[in-house]
Amino acid sequence: MIISVKDGFKLIGVSVVFFCAAFVCTFMLSYYMDVVSLKDVVSDQFSALYDAQVAMSKFVSVLTGGVLVLIAVIMLVFYIKLYVDSHSKQLGVLKALGFSNAKLAAGFCAFGLSALVGCSLGFACGYSATPFIYESMTIEGMPEVAVTFHYELLLGIVVAPTALFAGIAYGFAYLKLKIPVMHLIKGKESKIRLSGREDKERDFLTEVFFKTLSSKKLLTFFFAFSAFCFSAMVQMGLSMGDLSSEIMGTVILVIGLVLAAVTAFMSVTSLVNANVKTVSLMKTFGYTARERFFSVLGGFIPFAFIGFGIGAAYQYGLLQLMVNVVFADVAEVPAYEFDMPVFFITLGVFVISYAALLALYSLKLSKISVKEVMLEN
Amino acid sequence: MLKCKDIIKSYNGHRVLNGVSLDISKGEFVVILGASGSGKSTLLSVLSGLERADGGAVECGGANLSELNDSQLTAFRRDKIGFIFQQYYLLSHLSVQNNVKMGADLVGNKDYVKIIEAVGLGDKLKSRPPQLSGGEQQRVCIARALAKNPEILFLDEPTGALDEKTGREVLDYIIKFKAERGITVIMVTHNENIAETAETVVRMNSGKIVETRKNAKPKTAYEIGW
Repeated sequence: MIISVKDGFKLIGVSVVFFCAAFVCTFMLSYYMDVVSLKDVVSDQFSALYDAQVAMSKFVSVLTGGVLVLIAVIMLVFYIKLYVDSHSKQLGVLKALGFSNAKLAAGFCAFGLSALVGCSLGFACGYSATPFIYESMTIEGMPEVAVTFHYELLLGIVVAPTALFAGIAYGFAYLKLKIPVMHLIKGKESKIRLSGREDKERDFLTEVFFKTLSSKKLLTFFFAFSAFCFSAMVQMGLSMGDLSSEIMGTVILVIGLVLAAVTAFMSVTSLVNANVKTVSLMKTFGYTARERFFSVLGGFIPFAFIGFGIGAAYQYGLLQLMVNVVFADVAEVPAYEFDMPVFFITLGVFVISYAALLALYSLKLSKISVKEVMLEN
Repeated sequence: MLKCKDIIKSYNGHRVLNGVSLDISKGEFVVILGASGSGKSTLLSVLSGLERADGGAVECGGANLSELNDSQLTAFRRDKIGFIFQQYYLLSHLSVQNNVKMGADLVGNKDYVKIIEAVGLGDKLKSRPPQLSGGEQQRVCIARALAKNPEILFLDEPTGALDEKTGREVLDYIIKFKAERGITVIMVTHNENIAETAETVVRMNSGKIVETRKNAKPKTAYEIGW
């Protein structure tokens, strides 16, 4: 088995996404299940508000849980692809020695542990936070909602995702390992599309810029997603105001910051690691640190800003939806308008944080030497 | 042209270069010979400004490399140096033409296609490195290095990964370009026969120069044994 503990640590990003998904789903679904049982004791006066509370808990858990699980699947597949690419030599040698694809792919089930760790912690924290969340959601006049432990939630939020993700990891690794042995041993060099589109007539730096961008399309998604999380969840957390409790706003804000940080670090690290050879050669030939930085990382920055813009629009649309659809029948629901000051504050913090992150990696890029490439061979 | 004095370099407490001094003239062809671990590749890295020495001085065209900051060292490599590696280190996702542009664009050389043609790859401009043989890939490396019009060409075992026929061809190209352009060539190798093509042979052992000799009549790539 060539998957080490160190490799497991690289999946921390997947675990964090699972943690967030399990955390939100645990308390929102618990609330939904507990509040549903109160249907018969709610008076007519509060029935519209009660229905809105039920709809909101279902809406938030399905939307948040669904989106986060989807992201976790994409991240897991991305990591497995990255892992197979970076360990193709070892995997090729093992295949040459007689290990079957099924046996090698079985090792990738360990990637399902990332789901187990994230979901278990998320479930535990979500359940611990449930009394505080319930308290914050209590409305005067409505019956108090008692916290109940739901075993089916444990099954659905921890056991099922772990088994499902181990299966996905196995299946995807099995497909990836179907590459001929020699192609695995030769590594990614052998996978360059030889009959692809011809290079356009452009200078070297522009060519590297576009080739890096086109060869890492999935990373453009993660760059955008990271900024999306930051923009949508920070703005939502700060501008929900009267629409929800303070504690919910804080939870959304913290989850947004964690998701944004994890995906941003994961994206930039993967991008830098995939371009060590290009950067070191450019350094050897005398390209400046600025030229190296922009040819490798520069193309991804616009995607971060696109993600930020979509995030701002998304949170506005979502809160409008809550006000106009979920709480449509409830009297005295506060009006919601796009919060311009919050938008500009979030944008300012985003620009500063992103600049700091890129400066950090620019420093890392400047320290890469040709020796690192030589040692790889 | 290039002078170093009492160079010391260590890795993890192990001294790899132990007081190396060398004086190389403009247009000279120097071969640095030595067994694996003798310090020859490290010396090449220090002489070319890829790495800094822990002690001693490297002078090139009046500049002391150990006194230059990172940007100045980058500018030094940009303006003066060309590199050819044993493992080629071509960018496999770029065409031959774009790999050569990596060197050419640095100095605004628009005639880089002529260099590709000169190494016999005029019909492979759009090919990618994985489509080429080892010898062809090494010729792309030569074109890439020459396209930036270097004053000094550093070569680290350029024929080490090639068979005899291809190795001789590559060596012949290097000797030919050296004569045509008058560039200084510093080549590291463990192949004693290749040393016969050089004007000066420097032999290293355990981080020290143990012998320096001149070849009165350097041989061609096709006159030496292999």
